[in-house]
Amino acid sequence: MDKNIRVKKYLLSAFLLILAGTVLSLFTGKYPLASALLGGEDPQAVKVFLALRLPRTCMALLGGFGLGTAGYVYQMVFHNPLASPDIIGVSSGASAGAAFGILFLSAGAFPVTAASFLGGLTAVALTLALTRLAPGTGQGTIVLAGIAVHSLAQTLLMILKLTADPERELASIEYWIMGSLNAVSLYRLPFTAVLCLFCLAGIFLLRRQVLLLSVDQEEGRMLGVAVEKIRFLVLLLATLLTAAIISLTGLISFIGLIAPHTARLLTKDNSFPTLFLGGLLGSFLLLSADLLARSVTAGELPVSIFTSLLGVPFLLYLMLKRN
Amino acid sequence: MKKFISTFMILILALSVTACAAGNSAGTAQSPEQAADTGLSSSAAMQVTYPVTLNDQAGRQVVIEKEPETLVSGYYISTSLLLALNCQDRMTGIEAKAKNRPVYRLSAPSIIDLPSVGSAKEFDLEGCAALNPDLVILPVRLKDVFPTLEELGITVLAVNPENQQLLEEAALLIGTATNTLPAADSLFQSAKDSLAQLEEALKDTKKPAVYLSGNSSFLSTAGSNMYQSNLITQAGGINAAAELTDNYWSEISYEQLLAWNPDYIIAASDASYTVDSILNDPNLAQCKAVKNGNVYQLPNGIESWDSPVPGSFLGSLWLASILHPDEYPDIQWKEAAAAFYETFYRFTPDLENLYDRS
Repeated sequence: MDKNIRVKKYLLSAFLLILAGTVLSLFTGKYPLASALLGGEDPQAVKVFLALRLPRTCMALLGGFGLGTAGYVYQMVFHNPLASPDIIGVSSGASAGAAFGILFLSAGAFPVTAASFLGGLTAVALTLALTRLAPGTGQGTIVLAGIAVHSLAQTLLMILKLTADPERELASIEYWIMGSLNAVSLYRLPFTAVLCLFCLAGIFLLRRQVLLLSVDQEEGRMLGVAVEKIRFLVLLLATLLTAAIISLTGLISFIGLIAPHTARLLTKDNSFPTLFLGGLLGSFLLLSADLLARSVTAGELPVSIFTSLLGVPFLLYLMLKRN
Repeated sequence: MKKFISTFMILILALSVTACAAGNSAGTAQSPEQAADTGLSSSAAMQVTYPVTLNDQAGRQVVIEKEPETLVSGYYISTSLLLALNCQDRMTGIEAKAKNRPVYRLSAPSIIDLPSVGSAKEFDLEGCAALNPDLVILPVRLKDVFPTLEELGITVLAVNPENQQLLEEAALLIGTATNTLPAADSLFQSAKDSLAQLEEALKDTKKPAVYLSGNSSFLSTAGSNMYQSNLITQAGGINAAAELTDNYWSEISYEQLLAWNPDYIIAASDASYTVDSILNDPNLAQCKAVKNGNVYQLPNGIESWDSPVPGSFLGSLWLASILHPDEYPDIQWKEAAAAFYETFYRFTPDLENLYDRS
């Protein structure tokens, strides 16, 4: 089969899956919406749909797409199939920031989001500053600096957890780290959405350069890429994207790792359609995981449980099939 | 004979409590009711004779050789029980963060500065051993440290006051161990009387739906299997989250809360958020409780009445006065609260300032 047609088929299938998932997601939830919307007697139902159900579905689509794309970018830039936002400390920085927010600001949703966003950015700024200070410009330096900052943020998080009241704050911190789309609502979505779209647009505009970064650095330079500048810019966009998403949802594991790999195993290359497919698979994964997280039990479950439960078997299947 | 009656009575008082004075066998034809009747009417019969063997709430047999003169409590509920049993002067060690408990400050300020033996999270074995107490009372969840303490020659009594029944059993255990059975026996009487009175007052009223939000977030709540659910039902309300059957606080969504649409939202005593944050949350603007301004926080100025402490019945009485002000006016629970704390904790509570702002 012609490769282009095959890739198009994958993209189309992903679109259709997402469409089905979106419809299902819009009509699944604790508030009895389906009958109320059709019957049209409950004015509350419309509000619930617009203020909670729709934003949550949008966040699942956008968040999954963002995490999948950011993961792809990290893996390309670092030439490392295991690279994820944690490699330069953004996740652990965001966690420490969220814990700080929960302990010292207020358990309210907005201060925690703001603190976690700042925490993620601080960690990355620290990583990049350390890289600047060190002689040499290889990716080795940035990874090493990232590991140092990651450990530092983890230590800080541990200290914060230790001082937390186990009944109240510690529980909140643990729940935050497990991730959930429960906090998403119409009032909280716009900032995150705008930031995500901005970063995604940037990454898509720079898609050629991202692909070139994945080849040898010298080769990239010969092909006319200002390697360091572009790398810095692309990393910044991917990091901002990740920080914007996880500051609202808490840590969501595996999507950034699994979605791009799955896409690559399907298309068998590193091209723009693969980047896009990675994003779509991320959307589908988060959409399905969130659907399960809010409907399996009467309460809310952490979304990360399901991103791993759903994503890992699929990745393993593709891996084994390839061999 | 006295010895014998005391032995048998303790056996009756709680299923998990057995007391065997040395050289006595408890097998007789006397019915449990008779024993309880004669026992409870005479406080002299409530004298404990040592050595006494107890089955503690971890299922261990604990022999207490003589009446303990020095006590360490590693859990706030057992500390609250010790205060109610007037044992504060025998305490030589206390759990961590004692200064955060207003009832200690009000009832026995001296215990706040006792050496800390840590918390259930981080127990300080050496610190506890250094105090060399006659008896250490610890929660069951610290069971890993029991063998070590015993090797050091320290007697450990494990309690597990996770609900009202277990709390009453724990009170009798501690009462027997510390020779304060009369107080342990009467401790829950006023609670039972007040709750019976309340039930009578509310018998024909309509029951509103009440959503109890947990300490960590107002989107966490207690299902019907949880101790805290009783607080609502005793106060003449229906737990809006009754369909949840988890044994711990469950996380729920805004949607779920709106679907339940409770008449009242009651925040836990130690909530890390404010009542205003619920009232001002735009996602909840359509919720009945928020629309009508029926959002309150359980008082925390004395104790957290949503945890199984002896005074927890006051949480139900307070809530009843919110849900049913006509049938159960404010003054009634305040009288009950004043009487309770004056009798068992030896202070007069300030019931105009119900919240600890420190």
